[in-house]
Amino acid sequence: MSTAADRAAQLDLVARLRSSYPELPDAPPPDLLDHDRFTAYMKPVHDVGGEPDVPMKYENKEYEYWEHMTYVMCEVLAWRGIWLSEERRRIGNVDVGRAVYLGFPYYGRWLLAVARVLLEKHHIGLTELAERMAEVQRRFAGGLSGRTLTAKPAFEGDGTQVKRNSHVVHALGKGDPQVYAGRAGEPKFAVGDPVRVRELPVLFYTRTPEYARGATGRIAALAYESPAPEDETWDRPGAEPEWFYVVSFTMAELWHGYNGTATDTLRTEIPERWLEPVD
Amino acid sequence: MADHDHDHDHDRTVKPMVDEVTDFEVLEIALRELCIEKGIFTAEEHRRFTEFAEQIGPTPAARLVARSWLDPEFRALAIAEPMTASKEVGVDWLEPTGFGTPSDFTAFEILVDTPTVHHVIVCALCSCYPRPILGNSPEWYRTPNYRRRLVRYPRQVLSEFGLYLGEDIEIRVQDSNQKHRFMVMPMRPENTDGWTEDQLTEIVTRDCLIGVALPRAGVTTNVVVATRPAVHPVGE
Repeated sequence: MSTAADRAAQLDLVARLRSSYPELPDAPPPDLLDHDRFTAYMKPVHDVGGEPDVPMKYENKEYEYWEHMTYVMCEVLAWRGIWLSEERRRIGNVDVGRAVYLGFPYYGRWLLAVARVLLEKHHIGLTELAERMAEVQRRFAGGLSGRTLTAKPAFEGDGTQVKRNSHVVHALGKGDPQVYAGRAGEPKFAVGDPVRVRELPVLFYTRTPEYARGATGRIAALAYESPAPEDETWDRPGAEPEWFYVVSFTMAELWHGYNGTATDTLRTEIPERWLEPVD
Repeated sequence: MADHDHDHDHDRTVKPMVDEVTDFEVLEIALRELCIEKGIFTAEEHRRFTEFAEQIGPTPAARLVARSWLDPEFRALAIAEPMTASKEVGVDWLEPTGFGTPSDFTAFEILVDTPTVHHVIVCALCSCYPRPILGNSPEWYRTPNYRRRLVRYPRQVLSEFGLYLGEDIEIRVQDSNQKHRFMVMPMRPENTDGWTEDQLTEIVTRDCLIGVALPRAGVTTNVVVATRPAVHPVGE
């Protein structure tokens, strides 16, 4: 079982990971890659909570039109059953790898996720995407010169044969997570129960933050029933809903060397599979 | 495809045109055109969601808080059934798809501050945020910097927003990392006796609803107001 100091040390280790650890050769032989570094490489890169960082100036920036259009396109793709938003989160926030995750603008990653899902689910081909991009580049060669940036589809396609998920049918008029209500059975934990967050091996995706894994907290509320992100992010057929809990942690126990007060707390939501009782 | 009309006022600045067409703009246009040509979605569906997305902002949330300060029954409703209370300030969480905005889900909770507990929200995993009732999140909320540090050094981060809280107040960080979306209901500040709902709504800024600021009589703007212009190519 990890301690708060162990967890802080692991976050320090992750923070130094760029594309690879400089102390190791590229593509190291397996005997040079220890468990902690294996874990750092496999860490879903969106999980930045608690990684060391220094203050920066917080500022707004002009919201560019393509950013707004990218947000809208992602939401419309989910609305029309092309993906679950949980698929978008994995594809755009994790599958991109650390270099693109930290190197790209926020909505740049959303946009890459659109291209990725349309290709992986065979809605478009990479060649036609590249040809269309080249055509758009030609259309706007020399800049906008006062023109408006406008999409000009050649025609409106017939969408009746497009493969869509069933979520948009089932959730209609109910909402999500309400569509899963009453399907997870009896909750294993009750409000007030002390729980420990399990330290399951993590490959590819989870929404249980690294900073909480191995830590002990208390059930603050039963949240809802839903498939766990590990299943939902692949829209896995037959994924069963389970209970989610709001778990409260005391900051001074969660963080090695916490310098706030003894009463400060943090709450986060964790699915049942990640929790075990504390004797 | 409807052109983007900008004679209305946004709480954020939308820049419709840049001089040099960027790789992101090229990719967005190409993908949108292919989606419409293949019938993945229609231009009309895209237009409908665009219109929906342009009218969301923090005003309904501010009104919800102001009404809760004035009306104990409404306050109880906001705590017990936050999505029902949202409807009374004009926000239906099932809109515009019939199952909500896909990325935000339909699980909403209001975190009520007390004299001894102050809430602040973050999504350490991405930028989960109650868009239907607060609009799109500010840029700083999405930075890895805010997400890394708020869950671990909340008092330092709050101090960078000018918010210093005493040791008698518990800071409760809410990491909204799954399907719940959260907003903070701050306490009504002093020197607001006799104020109307409209007057109170004005001082409940977006930053107060995130929890990085407290409402104060006379303060109607967010803490971070500097906006960096988008210029392409960089350095021009």
